[in-house]
Amino acid sequence: MKRHFRELSVAAALLLVLLALAVLAPAFYQPQPLLSLLTREAPTLVVACGMALVIICRQIDISVGSQFAVCSVAAGLLAANGWPLPLVSLASVVFGLIMGAFNGWLVAGLRLPSIVVTLATMVTWREALRWLRQGQFVNLPDGTQWLGLSQLAGQCMLIVTAVVLLVALALATKHLAAGRFVYAVGTDAEAARLAGIRPQLTTFSVFAFMGALVGLAAMMNVVQSPQVDPKSGSGLELKVIAAAVVGGVAVSGGRGKLWGVFVGLLLLACISPALTHLRIEAYWEKAIQGAIILLAVVADGVRNRKETV
Amino acid sequence: MNTEKHGFKAALFRHETVLLFVVVLEWFYFNSVGPRFGSVDNSFDIMRHSVEIGLLALAMTPIILTGGIDLSVGSLLGLCAILFGKFWRDVGMPIPLAAACTIGVGALAGGLNASLITWLRLPPLIVTLGTFSLFRGLAEAITRGVDTFTNFPASFLFLGQERWLGIPAQAPAFIVVAIGIWLLVHRTTFGRSFRAIGFAPEGTRYAGIPVERRLALVYVLAGMIAAIAAVIYTARLGQAKADAGMGYELFAITAVVLGGTSIFGGVGTVQGTLLGVAAIAILNNGLVHARQPREVAGMLTGVLLILALASSILPKILATWRARRQTSLNKTPVTT
Repeated sequence: MKRHFRELSVAAALLLVLLALAVLAPAFYQPQPLLSLLTREAPTLVVACGMALVIICRQIDISVGSQFAVCSVAAGLLAANGWPLPLVSLASVVFGLIMGAFNGWLVAGLRLPSIVVTLATMVTWREALRWLRQGQFVNLPDGTQWLGLSQLAGQCMLIVTAVVLLVALALATKHLAAGRFVYAVGTDAEAARLAGIRPQLTTFSVFAFMGALVGLAAMMNVVQSPQVDPKSGSGLELKVIAAAVVGGVAVSGGRGKLWGVFVGLLLLACISPALTHLRIEAYWEKAIQGAIILLAVVADGVRNRKETV
Repeated sequence: MNTEKHGFKAALFRHETVLLFVVVLEWFYFNSVGPRFGSVDNSFDIMRHSVEIGLLALAMTPIILTGGIDLSVGSLLGLCAILFGKFWRDVGMPIPLAAACTIGVGALAGGLNASLITWLRLPPLIVTLGTFSLFRGLAEAITRGVDTFTNFPASFLFLGQERWLGIPAQAPAFIVVAIGIWLLVHRTTFGRSFRAIGFAPEGTRYAGIPVERRLALVYVLAGMIAAIAAVIYTARLGQAKADAGMGYELFAITAVVLGGTSIFGGVGTVQGTLLGVAAIAILNNGLVHARQPREVAGMLTGVLLILALASSILPKILATWRARRQTSLNKTPVTT
């Protein structure tokens, strides 16, 4: 109970918001809008899982939004050129893996600080994409949307994919040696090295894995609409960092649970529809997101202070 | 600690000298490519466009010296520009009072960063990432994403668009801030303490320096300078919009790192930052004259930042490689 206190308090907040919505705006619970809300958040959940691992490893990656856009457009172009969908998905994951590995090489190989490295790659990928594509949308061929299934089946499949991935990763971080390495390196890289773990290899792998997850998420986003927006994924990095931090992943590294990230993401995802239902203007969304990030880190900061004093 | 060699040869290989050489090279290259690049008008244009980024870079220098970072300065510029317009148009303040209030808001916003970083000992990275989102979000919420402030009086636009004593009117403000920051960093005990904090915060505390107060000072100062930049930005463009200064934090950080300040803190100079700003401003302007699309400039800035970072740690990497080779040569069986 005490070990899960942080996650449970977020879950309680989520329950409160859901209850408030049930009383004030029952329209929120109609099955169709709710299902599309969850489908929209499925790719975000995949990226948030990767971000949680990166932050647990005491790093950060703010280039995920740009990676997401590059993977989306690349996947769209390949699909438009008649590649079969499984191959397109694989290519998207590989593109993401390469971009993530590049970040990982700069951070782990050259020992550069991840915040500045990913700030640089964020702008580089985004501007390169804008330069090459001039903001054009990519039209996808028939049969790409929802992978050629019905909309309901497609939506369910995306949600199930995201949840299965979440459960698999949650189990892996708890029970696999590779998962524990991430916590060990995030807690104390030097101690981890003395215990026989290779911290730089772990950091590199986490970044590369993050990229691969972004590639997968981009594909999950591409199949949701008949066109690919070259601006997709802008602001994604803040959204997933917010989800991870709200969900109890400590920015000082080494602490956090993936199911907490899931609850954190659901809480954030409810905010935007809650704003509409409660008739607050949508322009406040970004400010509220920033305030929630600050609130979450302040809560952790106050708790840490009490523990150390 | 101070192992710098004096004399002509050492000065030739200093980071700033190399950077100055690069800036001059850049200038001559673009001068040969773009026919109008070298004109006096264009030089003033470069100066005008680099003032806001230059101010943010100057504010960022002491922060990075202490080993911190401030990602929120670009967003704060946007928020301050909006509030400046609001104070002037909707509250009805005269321009000087509105500008003073804006600087006050900047100080408050910097104070928010500072208090979270120093009282709760939170990492600057995540705090300013949160305020990055908060400040920009507030700017969007206040204007509802569409409202823009225009029709400023000509006497105010003079500050951003006209010349005063033959130079761009905003240049004197920039020079004053630059001299102020240079004096603070290089000629006071405060500047010494910033470097000390960057090297070892705990050690600095034991040496009797109030680390928290010094840190709070640099973040509040950054907020105030971002507000000044917002006023100048509004005067230059003649309008204030919620997206003002978007992405400027990247340019500012790039200028500082390019100028030889270590991203890990402890090492760096203000004159290096100024050269870094010049290098970026000339690159941006020159690419337009060389008929390259605007995106290329943004892309190259990102690449430049990675290269500058990589080159700054090159000596460290070489040293570790050498050390590793040494240890593998003298390897003895480990018995423990």
